[in-house]
Amino acid sequence: MSATDSTAGASGSGGSTQGASGSSGDAPEQPDTSTYECNICLDTARDAVISHCGHLFCWPCLHQWLETRPNRQVCPVCKAGISKDKVIPLYGRGSTDQKDPRDKVPPRPQGLRTEPENNANFPGFGFGEGGFQFGIGAFPFGFFATTFNFNNGRPPPPGPGTQQHGEEQFLSKVFLWVAMMCVVWLLIS
Amino acid sequence: MANIAVARIKREFKEVVKSEEVAKCHIKVELVDDSFTSLRGEILGPPDTPYEGGTFILDIRIPETYPFNPPKVQFLTKIWHPNISSVTGAICLDILKDQWAAAMTLRTVLLSLQALLAAPEPDDPQDAVVARQYKETSDIFSQTARHWASNYASAPHREPVMDDKVAQLKNMGFDEHKARVALSTHNWDIEQAMENILS
Ligand SMILES: [Zn+2]
Ligand SMILES: [Zn+2]
Repeated sequence: MSATDSTAGASGSGGSTQGASGSSGDAPEQPDTSTYECNICLDTARDAVISHCGHLFCWPCLHQWLETRPNRQVCPVCKAGISKDKVIPLYGRGSTDQKDPRDKVPPRPQGLRTEPENNANFPGFGFGEGGFQFGIGAFPFGFFATTFNFNNGRPPPPGPGTQQHGEEQFLSKVFLWVAMMCVVWLLIS
Repeated sequence: MANIAVARIKREFKEVVKSEEVAKCHIKVELVDDSFTSLRGEILGPPDTPYEGGTFILDIRIPETYPFNPPKVQFLTKIWHPNISSVTGAICLDILKDQWAAAMTLRTVLLSLQALLAAPEPDDPQDAVVARQYKETSDIFSQTARHWASNYASAPHREPVMDDKVAQLKNMGFDEHKARVALSTHNWDIEQAMENILS
């Protein structure tokens, strides 16, 4: 599979492009350095990011592509939907990435860090695209999960005694109380 | 600032040059000058089409924003095809417009054009006259396309009847290409064609 090979045969207006994909395996020599080439500049990917559809790009290259077509953000290879928030940065060993990638222009999107335990505990509680959904029955639990998540998430919890810590404790107490009320209400009704 | 367009064309050059299709002489790219922004493409007419065996030359211009925007491509070889202007050689093909994607290469473009020769899209025409002929009288279309390919693209299969009609008008003092266009446009009716030229 040569990475440079676009099989994006857009059907649709203006003439058929089928057959355009051609045979993709026609670069038999060179043990696969092309696997790590950016699909846009065809050079080794720098500040590499990968799309959900699995296609590799330099972040600056992909950024420019997204800027060129703000209204039609598709993967340059397979034309799947793509956006700034839906690419994953790749950090290789010894990559320049000990620096904050955001210092670069354009900033590379950050890696997504999810907490492994939380996922299993509350089925029906979606982590995916940032939209929380819970069914009626699981409502209070979902609520618990969100409050706990506050503390489990990325920003490390502020140390005890700080004002923010106090506020958060207060907040979680309030949430807990509200949740209890919900349960009671459910039981009564 | 190093120009990404030039860097990429240089890489693509190697890719196309060593690809299978080149070995079979189906597609080809050449530099016009040292700038890497003006190129000459070549595709072979696909088998079982009126263009079979013809050599079609393309003018390829690389914009500064390549590969984020498509190359500008048009036929230099005159061709009779619903999606290619018989006058200017302008091409109507989605990937050269809004369906372009930055991962596409000159190789994909040339192969897509070859595919377009094999499968015209008369519903999204560039040349309305040709498109109508393609839809309404497909036999005449095929013969006309073959006639053009043999005269302009050195395709081996000739259409002797059509060659004769063009020769007739030429002998009457008309310009050969004008005569061919008029005849092609009027389904090879000599009188209508003459009227058209004289009007
Ligand atoms: Zn790149
Ligand atoms: Zn993709």
